[in-house]
Amino acid sequence: MSSCFILALSAVLLPLMVLFGLKSGIIENLLAPLENDPRFREIRPVGSGRFDPEWFEAMAERNDVAFIVPRTRSIAATLRLRAGGEDARRIIQAELIPTAPGDPVLPGIDAPSDSSHVVVSLNVAEKLGLAPGDKIEGIVSRTYKHERETELLPLTVNGVASAAAFARDGIFVSHELMVDVEDFRDGHAVPELGWDGDREDRGARRFAGFRLYAQTLDDVAGLRKALLARAIDVRTQQGDIDLVRALDRNLGYVFWIIAAIAILGYGISFGSSVWANIDRKRYEFGVLRLIGFRTHAIVWFPILQAILTGILGWSIAAAAYFGVEVGLNALLAETIGNGQPVCRLRPLHFFIALSITLVVAGLAAALGGTRLARLEPSLALREG
Amino acid sequence: MLLKPTRSGRFGFQPVTEDEPYDIDAAWNSANADLLSELRSRHIGYVLQSGGLLPYLTVRENISLSRRLLHLETKEAADYWADRLNISAQLDKLPQKLSVGQRQRVAIARALAHEPTVVIADEPTASVDPVNAERIMELMVRLADDIGVTLIVASHAHELMQRVGLRMIEHEVDLGEGDSMHVTVSDVAS
Repeated sequence: MSSCFILALSAVLLPLMVLFGLKSGIIENLLAPLENDPRFREIRPVGSGRFDPEWFEAMAERNDVAFIVPRTRSIAATLRLRAGGEDARRIIQAELIPTAPGDPVLPGIDAPSDSSHVVVSLNVAEKLGLAPGDKIEGIVSRTYKHERETELLPLTVNGVASAAAFARDGIFVSHELMVDVEDFRDGHAVPELGWDGDREDRGARRFAGFRLYAQTLDDVAGLRKALLARAIDVRTQQGDIDLVRALDRNLGYVFWIIAAIAILGYGISFGSSVWANIDRKRYEFGVLRLIGFRTHAIVWFPILQAILTGILGWSIAAAAYFGVEVGLNALLAETIGNGQPVCRLRPLHFFIALSITLVVAGLAAALGGTRLARLEPSLALREG
Repeated sequence: MLLKPTRSGRFGFQPVTEDEPYDIDAAWNSANADLLSELRSRHIGYVLQSGGLLPYLTVRENISLSRRLLHLETKEAADYWADRLNISAQLDKLPQKLSVGQRQRVAIARALAHEPTVVIADEPTASVDPVNAERIMELMVRLADDIGVTLIVASHAHELMQRVGLRMIEHEVDLGEGDSMHVTVSDVAS
């Protein structure tokens, strides 16, 4: 078997692999922030509504919903915070953000499950010098029956959320605390926390809003449509998603056109090489025929040879590709890849490359094999 | 009908073929390529003008080719025939490393290794010098005689063929349209 033939195959296959590596890496870099950043899957209500617990239960059961928690009225969803008790030098006003286990913006952080634990935003942590495990105090005030009332709430910091999770001053709190603060602000008593107020039954609770995250980027549009159909106006990042999706699609078209031409050229090049190789060895095949090799043995010979050549050529191309990938990523990852690899192939891509190689090799060799099947044994005598 | 003569393992190898009659005419007329291939592989050995060796196989592999095809033992046979043809030192070399004369000896070894019924040699000495031609022909005739193989040689070297004891057969081939050609066929009585 000609080593030149194997190298020629590698030389054709390698640029194709690099081309696909670049396509794959660049598109993945574009899509990764969208796929990984839950903010792109967030669906925010515009204005206030009146959502009952049954509505939340129904939404939570949908397959396209990853996370949903009720939100109370914005005006009632704030808390002043201080660290260090009455000697605290600084008090800040923080927004309350309802959370629950599985909150997509708090990966790796225990979501508060009661009224005594919170997760603080990075801003709050920096302003108050907080770390997980620290104790702080929440201060909640209201004007009740023409008198100003203030309650203190001891809180433990479960964790610090990233700036991407919430960029302003805020704390992630349990549903209970959210409701307790709203009740207190509305003049109601909160017996669990020892806060006094009106004790009459306030009826079925309804919430002003929600925090909702779709399961995947593809689910955002459907959820938005479903909510709009129920007259719930929402805001999403659909524009950004569509933009990158369109870029992905268009870049994909360009790459596939280039790749289709390259694969066609590769097929013709490889096929003609296999054909030429068979033609070059007609005499040897004639000798084999003369000696007594049967038709199927003669036909299988170039097919197996072509497949072996394909495997070896693919192996060399794959090995060389790894070298090129390392070089390209070292050169370009920082400049155009935002630190991420710009050239990347998955095992599936290598498998596809091998499959195409073997199919082309097999087809070309089979065509050559049919020629060999008609080879006369006398050829060896005539040309010998 | 070509009948395979019974042999009794002259060199301690397994007999090449069983005693089965082959209807060559029927095989030829039916264009049964596989049957004809089997017939060639079992009963005919070929020595071509340039040797007809496969360049990517070693001398040992080339000699073994005809026996391998019949699923016969190969190592001892290759050693034996290489020894008889004085090419033992070349067994692990590729044909391109051999002289023309050595290549012809390998070709003769391959043609005889499976102990066929007939060996057909097409101008076996055309590529070698007269001295080597004489040696090669003498050797081939002796070996063929030793194992009882019919040797059919097509050659222009009439005198050489007669010197080594081959019988000349001349006959006329009708080429059609009034043309004809005289052909001399030599064989050695087995």
